[in-house]
Amino acid sequence: MFKDLKPDKITLREWSRQFQEIDDNTIHKYRYYGNPEWGMYLSPPATFMVYGARELKRLKFDNSLAALRLWGFVFNESERLFRARQSGKKVIATMGDLGTIPVIVTSFPDCISFYPECTWWTPFFNESTVLLNKASELGIPEASCFVRATLAAFLKRAYFPKPDLILASTGASCDDYSSIMQQVENLGYEFTWLEIPYRRDYKDYAYNSSSKTGNGKKCDERLEKYLVKEYQKAWEKMVGLTGINDLSILQENIKKTNVLRRLVNSIKELCYDADAAPFPALEMMAIEFGNLYAYADFDEWLSILQMVYETIKDRVRRKVGVLNNNALPIAWVTPTADPLLLNIMEDAGCRVVASEYVINQAMVEIDQDIDPLHALARSFINASLIGSTRARVDRIKAQVEAGRIAGVIITNMLGASHCAMESRLIEKMLDKVPVLSIDVPAPSGITEQLKTRIAAFVETLRCAKS
Amino acid sequence: MDLIGYTCSYIPVELVSATGLRPYRLLHGDINLSKEGEKTVRVDACPLVKSNLSYIIKNKNKFAALIGSTGCDMARRMYDVAGELTDLPVYVINTPRTDNPTIYNEEIDWLVKQLEHLSGREFNNKLLASEINKWEKIHSRYHFIDQMRAASPSLVSTTEFHRAIAHYYQGEIDTKPEITEHVSDKPRVFLIGSSISYEANSILELIEQELRIVGDFNCGLSRILNIKITERSLAGLKEAYYNQPPCIFKRPNVKFYDWIRTKIAALDCVGIVAWTLDYCDIYEFELSTIEKSFNLPVLRIRSDFSYQNLSQLRTRIAAFGEMLCSRI
Repeated sequence: MFKDLKPDKITLREWSRQFQEIDDNTIHKYRYYGNPEWGMYLSPPATFMVYGARELKRLKFDNSLAALRLWGFVFNESERLFRARQSGKKVIATMGDLGTIPVIVTSFPDCISFYPECTWWTPFFNESTVLLNKASELGIPEASCFVRATLAAFLKRAYFPKPDLILASTGASCDDYSSIMQQVENLGYEFTWLEIPYRRDYKDYAYNSSSKTGNGKKCDERLEKYLVKEYQKAWEKMVGLTGINDLSILQENIKKTNVLRRLVNSIKELCYDADAAPFPALEMMAIEFGNLYAYADFDEWLSILQMVYETIKDRVRRKVGVLNNNALPIAWVTPTADPLLLNIMEDAGCRVVASEYVINQAMVEIDQDIDPLHALARSFINASLIGSTRARVDRIKAQVEAGRIAGVIITNMLGASHCAMESRLIEKMLDKVPVLSIDVPAPSGITEQLKTRIAAFVETLRCAKS
Repeated sequence: MDLIGYTCSYIPVELVSATGLRPYRLLHGDINLSKEGEKTVRVDACPLVKSNLSYIIKNKNKFAALIGSTGCDMARRMYDVAGELTDLPVYVINTPRTDNPTIYNEEIDWLVKQLEHLSGREFNNKLLASEINKWEKIHSRYHFIDQMRAASPSLVSTTEFHRAIAHYYQGEIDTKPEITEHVSDKPRVFLIGSSISYEANSILELIEQELRIVGDFNCGLSRILNIKITERSLAGLKEAYYNQPPCIFKRPNVKFYDWIRTKIAALDCVGIVAWTLDYCDIYEFELSTIEKSFNLPVLRIRSDFSYQNLSQLRTRIAAFGEMLCSRI
């Protein structure tokens, strides 16, 4: 049985060497969809580089078996989605809401959900502009969010199977993605549109009742009512697809989802509170995004995270980590489309101890004691992008004020509506610490100049500390 | 402090006016204001939003409140920024992107409460009926000019129409529009796209040196004239504003295309001018669809409010006009 070595971040080549130490039983043990015939996914990250993820050769990965499982599983998603289709599962594209509709979808037996917009990482992992160029050919401006890759992926039909159903959320969300979804519909895909209403600040609702969100804050009852109506629509679509109409399965799935969300929150706490960073930021981002849809296989993803949790717990107990002990604690606001930036930041001497990856709605627990659709609505009300910028960064601000964070990095996507409007305001709101706001360049576009900016930022943080 | 700034065609001007304050549509498209706006938002924000934001901040003492909607994301977020940088009361209503009149109706009810509180007035049926009547009369003036614009041959230019309707958007309702007739036999085109700002008059003039814009679907021009109020009450306002020809941001946006198609046919247009502002995703992402949908030549004009490429633009417009003439 493979035993984890001293915690470290290692290269693709090193992982390939280390992979030889892993015995066949271990390799055969982990399978997606619990399928004994074709569900294997444990392979060295180099496998995925051969398949096209060229950036992997530049990245460093955690050297634990848990991380190997994590990456094998994450990179295997495309194959897994096509296998799901082959094996008779219903494949449902959930778009735009980032984290809530999949709870409805996956409560139905043999139904899996995925987020086509997660294709925005593909051009970066693949160091390829194929999808972005195709989007340009389809008329999407180059100065727009990388999420435009999604449109090309729908056209090419090679990245995920044609969905059995598309549940697309729009409304008080970013314009880029709403516009991309419309173009996907124009390609001839059938859409069910769901409304995401705007959330005014919680304080505005003094006259409201005891309606609570996942964070226990007061919220607008009407907002909850609107969302419930939309979730009913999604539910009815799923009933139409499967012939099953039993809300108790949703109640059960909420419980399962909460197990995952609690586990991820525990992992984050363990990781971010530890003296030595026990797990790298890149893996942590992949873990957070797993809350959206469990990478289309809930049970296996949960099992992987349990292993990750044990690994981190052990490292914390032994007070060992993957970064220097003097790494400077920072917060990361808005996820980076290019994963390499997280590596560069750590190499420069920082560690992420707080994040706001626009998916707060997927991080909160869902009420298990009320009607499930209302419970989902209350959890979604915590969404990052449907309200004010102040509400979005409040948590980060509190940690800055508590002295837990030495600096903040904001990653922006040129032309993305919320980045354009929020970033300056976030800088202003977090003005008690240095803030570095960077534009994620196009694939393979990270320059020495950008690395120098990050290095200079870290130097500023060090000076401020000393 | 006699102005209420607002942005969206789904915000009933009659309700804003019922406060006793002057409804002032935020339609500032000035390059200097836009550059100024880059101190508060990023360079890749919509130039109209940047410009409006600077205008609000510079003129905050003129405003009693601001009203926005969720129409487009950057405009919605503009109110967030304005709320942080000024002390002005800011009200943002949910304008649903899907077909969801319940949300819209309830949001209007919410807005009424806020405006009643702001103004200390009760928005009863009498007050609303009087406001509706007042604005209907004003609308009728512009309907008349719009019909002259749409006539064949067209009698009034959009440049003139825009100059006149700016008074409406700025709440100067006592100013009677003065129009000079210019009969035109230039190719008839339809204007579509991002907002036409107060400062865009010279662009319209440039276009109309070669073409005649006989109809449009742009905020800042004739969109408000498509709102037909049949019942003089709050319910009537909601119904009329909700059922106006749908904005392109509606999902799906089939009805938007259907409406434009009908309008273009009725106006006998031979071409389309698609006006987009930098980073206006809602229109820019649709340009290819617009080109495919109407089977008419489309001239794309993209702007950041600067006039750096004026000569080039003049040549492009002339070439487009020439091409349309050769097809007629």
